[in-house]
Amino acid sequence: MATVADPKHLEGDSFRARVQRIGGYMAGMIMPNIAAFIAWGLITALFIPKGWLPNAELAKLVGPMITMLLPILIGYTGGRLVHGQRGAVVGAIATVGVVVGTDVPMFLGAMIIGPLTALILRVFDGYVQERVKAGFEMLVDNFSAGIIGGGMAVAGLKGIGPVVEQLTKAAGHGVDWLVSHHVLPLVSIIVEPAKVLFLNNAINHGVLAPLAVQEATQKGKSVLFMIETNPGPGLGILTAYLLFGPRTLRATVPGAMIIHFLGGIHEIYFPYILMKPKLILAAIAGGMAGVGTAMVTGAGLIATPAPGSIFAYLAETPKGGYVPVLLAVIVAAGVSFVVGSLLLGFGRGEPEEVEADEAAAGTAVPAARPASTTPATPVAHRTTSEA
Amino acid sequence: MPTIAGADIRKVVVACDAGMGSSVMLASQMRKRLKKYDVAVEHVAVNSIPSDAQVVLTQSSLAARAQGIAPDAVVVPFQMFMGDPAFDKVEAAIRDGGTLGA
Repeated sequence: MATVADPKHLEGDSFRARVQRIGGYMAGMIMPNIAAFIAWGLITALFIPKGWLPNAELAKLVGPMITMLLPILIGYTGGRLVHGQRGAVVGAIATVGVVVGTDVPMFLGAMIIGPLTALILRVFDGYVQERVKAGFEMLVDNFSAGIIGGGMAVAGLKGIGPVVEQLTKAAGHGVDWLVSHHVLPLVSIIVEPAKVLFLNNAINHGVLAPLAVQEATQKGKSVLFMIETNPGPGLGILTAYLLFGPRTLRATVPGAMIIHFLGGIHEIYFPYILMKPKLILAAIAGGMAGVGTAMVTGAGLIATPAPGSIFAYLAETPKGGYVPVLLAVIVAAGVSFVVGSLLLGFGRGEPEEVEADEAAAGTAVPAARPASTTPATPVAHRTTSEA
Repeated sequence: MPTIAGADIRKVVVACDAGMGSSVMLASQMRKRLKKYDVAVEHVAVNSIPSDAQVVLTQSSLAARAQGIAPDAVVVPFQMFMGDPAFDKVEAAIRDGGTLGA
């Protein structure tokens, strides 16, 4: 499971596990609320002045949903992760403190103050649990949560909110800089390998989507939604596998292509790369080509396409934006297919030259672990397991 | 390393990063295979594997995390989401009464 860009985890799985866990925590606050993102995206696409059915009255839903509802849901969910239902409630209360008085969608603020407030309540609850007199539990529970939640809302409005607003704006300027200097495609060099190490949700929902939402509220669409979620690179690699991959694995590929491209479950293609780590170069090339195409053509989506299915892409493309969006997917798939096919040697020598393949991979990957680069193990009994 | 006898397995937990995508897909496949043995299959996020889980199926990249969260569970890692021998291993242990995790 070694990849080119992540030599650190070769030391052991603990580093990767730690990053995954933190990332999983951030994604865990966003992902349960994706339906709300989709509702906001669809309402925006339909009713804003440039939308399909412009309607000033219904468009009033757009602002409060993105600046109030979504951050509060994130703060609520973050609180729940830390301290159950009570944590959720104080997380939501405190999040209101960071969202009022700003027009920036305060996702980062919500991701900080929600769990933090729940943590304070958890410490308090642990302290008083055995000290409350019988019959006073409800009184103490309700007022402690109310006071801590309310206090943190004030702290959020006066202290945390303004700081996070500056941070969010600075991050937004950083992205603007990447875009205006035409270096945004380089982000794929980090994103694609990290994605295959199952950091996909952390990167997209934890980092890119909050920035993208900020951009989308200003410009009506954002290319940042398309960096991690583009189903093109995965499709290209699976296609290369189908034609030129190890023969024993080819039978599984068509099903994987459907699940990946139509169902949007990208995890399905990660193992195909983990087995032949050099294919990460195809994913990076495809990702960069996709982002580059999106930048040149001005592609963007209005909300986060989750799961990263072509159907989600089509549903969240702004009116009149289909050609650039589809082009970004097609170019990404084409480039990763061509690079992937080259790396697989167009199927020559399959399966006799597996050893040579591994040697070639070894030059790009300093210390690929044998267990993860030997396709023989998972392949050996595969025919019996298809039932 | 924890082990479990196939006959004692009542529930298999399938874990993925978010507990919403690949684990749901795999859980529905495993549910079909294990229904006839009266074994339940659930899907969860890795971070919320219940501490009393018996058997956890998860992609090998996530196995270390899964074991850390449920130290007493038998974590069965797999490579591929379709047709991995690990799925057969679990089914065979339940069907034939072998030992998992040894």
